[in-house]
Amino acid sequence: MQVTEGTKGRNARSDIRATEIMATAGARELHDGEVVVVGLGLPEVASVLAKRTHAPRLTTLLEVGVMNPRPKDPPVGLPDSRSFYRATCWSGFLDVMGMNLHRGVVDVGFLGALELDRYGNINTTLVKDGAGKIRYVNGSAGGNDVASLAKRVIVIMRHEKRKLPLAVAYLTSPGFVGGRSRQELNLRGGGPSRVITDMGVLGFDAKTHAMSLLSLHPGIQLEALVENTGFPLHIPNDIPTTPLPSTEELRLLREEIDPKGMHLK
Amino acid sequence: MVDKVKSVSEVVRTIPSGSHIALGGFAIARNVIVVVHELIRQQKRDLTVSQGVVGLETDLLVGAGLVGHLIMGGGSLDRFGPAHCVNRARETKSLRWEDYTSLSVCFRYLAGALGLSFIPIKSLFASEILERLEAGPGASDVKRSKCPFTGEEYVLLRALTPDVSFIHVQIADSEGNCQINGPRWGNEEQAKAGRRLVVVAEEIVSTEFIQRSPERTIIPGHRVEAVIHQPFGALPTSVYGCYDYDADHLRLYVKHAEEPERFQEYLKAFVFGCRDHWEYLEKLGGLRRMEELRAEPISGY
Repeated sequence: MQVTEGTKGRNARSDIRATEIMATAGARELHDGEVVVVGLGLPEVASVLAKRTHAPRLTTLLEVGVMNPRPKDPPVGLPDSRSFYRATCWSGFLDVMGMNLHRGVVDVGFLGALELDRYGNINTTLVKDGAGKIRYVNGSAGGNDVASLAKRVIVIMRHEKRKLPLAVAYLTSPGFVGGRSRQELNLRGGGPSRVITDMGVLGFDAKTHAMSLLSLHPGIQLEALVENTGFPLHIPNDIPTTPLPSTEELRLLREEIDPKGMHLK
Repeated sequence: MVDKVKSVSEVVRTIPSGSHIALGGFAIARNVIVVVHELIRQQKRDLTVSQGVVGLETDLLVGAGLVGHLIMGGGSLDRFGPAHCVNRARETKSLRWEDYTSLSVCFRYLAGALGLSFIPIKSLFASEILERLEAGPGASDVKRSKCPFTGEEYVLLRALTPDVSFIHVQIADSEGNCQINGPRWGNEEQAKAGRRLVVVAEEIVSTEFIQRSPERTIIPGHRVEAVIHQPFGALPTSVYGCYDYDADHLRLYVKHAEEPERFQEYLKAFVFGCRDHWEYLEKLGGLRRMEELRAEPISGY
């Protein structure tokens, strides 16, 4: 069996990539009939997988003004013409982010992050090195709007200590800032609900709003996950194992959704 | 019938240094490259640039040192890399900038387009974006307030009314009626917020052609001051239904933009070294390359 890069050799079935477990776990968080604003990359792969399996009536929105695209070639970014393919609607920010997200009809915001802290605050703007030197990377784009306004937010990212720090270097998109409730923060959306990494699935405590472990991916040791997390994590006594992708989910991911492995490598 | 078709050099000559310009691209799509190259050739300085999601066009202007103030919602060159010049300028604080979000920039344009002086928004709360705006020169553009009817908390944003908005479209007639194919991000609000509006069109069509599908006209002619006709005018960025992005050239650009010295070489070769966009297209590989990038009609890329 081939151990592919990205799994870090940690998974029980070493031919299954960590990214495939992530995409499947992400897809399973989406319910049929929901409206989801997706970022590009794994969020998009996961939402397409959900649509092709248990959630055929999922509505997917891209901030540029694209609804329900069915790309046949993997796009390099949101404004790539490949992500406009076979859409059911073309509009713009004002429609997708204004008259849907701001209006309050978006169930899920599905985002990536440069950094994420224990209260689900997202940084997509800049990174600081050990000496405190700042390197700008991007900014919010629609991230802050989505994190503020979607009914719930799912973050998908790699599990590394520097990406999961005690405090984000820049608070681009708010979660439960300082452990406070969304209401206290004047935030209309429900905030972060799930974090899907290449090591496990995490959630947020209803009372403390701090991140807690929900499941470990197959073959991942709890110690390794804790060691790769930069903040104290609530660990339940009984830790379930994240289900592996089914044969059909793997087939869809590998043969139809991302055959070139652009996002799943 | 008024013929508004003008050359880019003619149009750019009417843009004073210090103007606030709004650019219509998004990352690597429908960038107003023709206009930006000419702004650089004519060295229009101390510009204020506003844009929802910045891309190559803004990176070029910032790298060329012509931007004094940047109002942006984020942005990159997608998988090709970050907007190095914009990021470097933020790191070295060589310009004044304000970070917003896609929606808040769009709302500011919408307010401008509606003739309102401000607009309320529900996002931005509890973020460092708002915190930094309130702590800096951007403070004069944001304010927290309650709804006078319901008491709900809002962030109020000052309207944006750029001196000139530049939008790249697929087709326009010579009066400026514009049709955009594909998603439009913030183009309509941005175009209509502008005090002046200039469009770059891939193709100039007859008004009769526009009249066949008026539902596709996003920008009506009476709002447009000038139409610049330039096929392959957005390259190396893509134009849906016309051509794909030039991945090779974007990679070459990113490599140059990484280092300020190398970026100057890029400008020398592809901007200052070209009399006009046609010469630039020759440098990109000419007709043979354009043919390779031309969109296939079903996929649109």
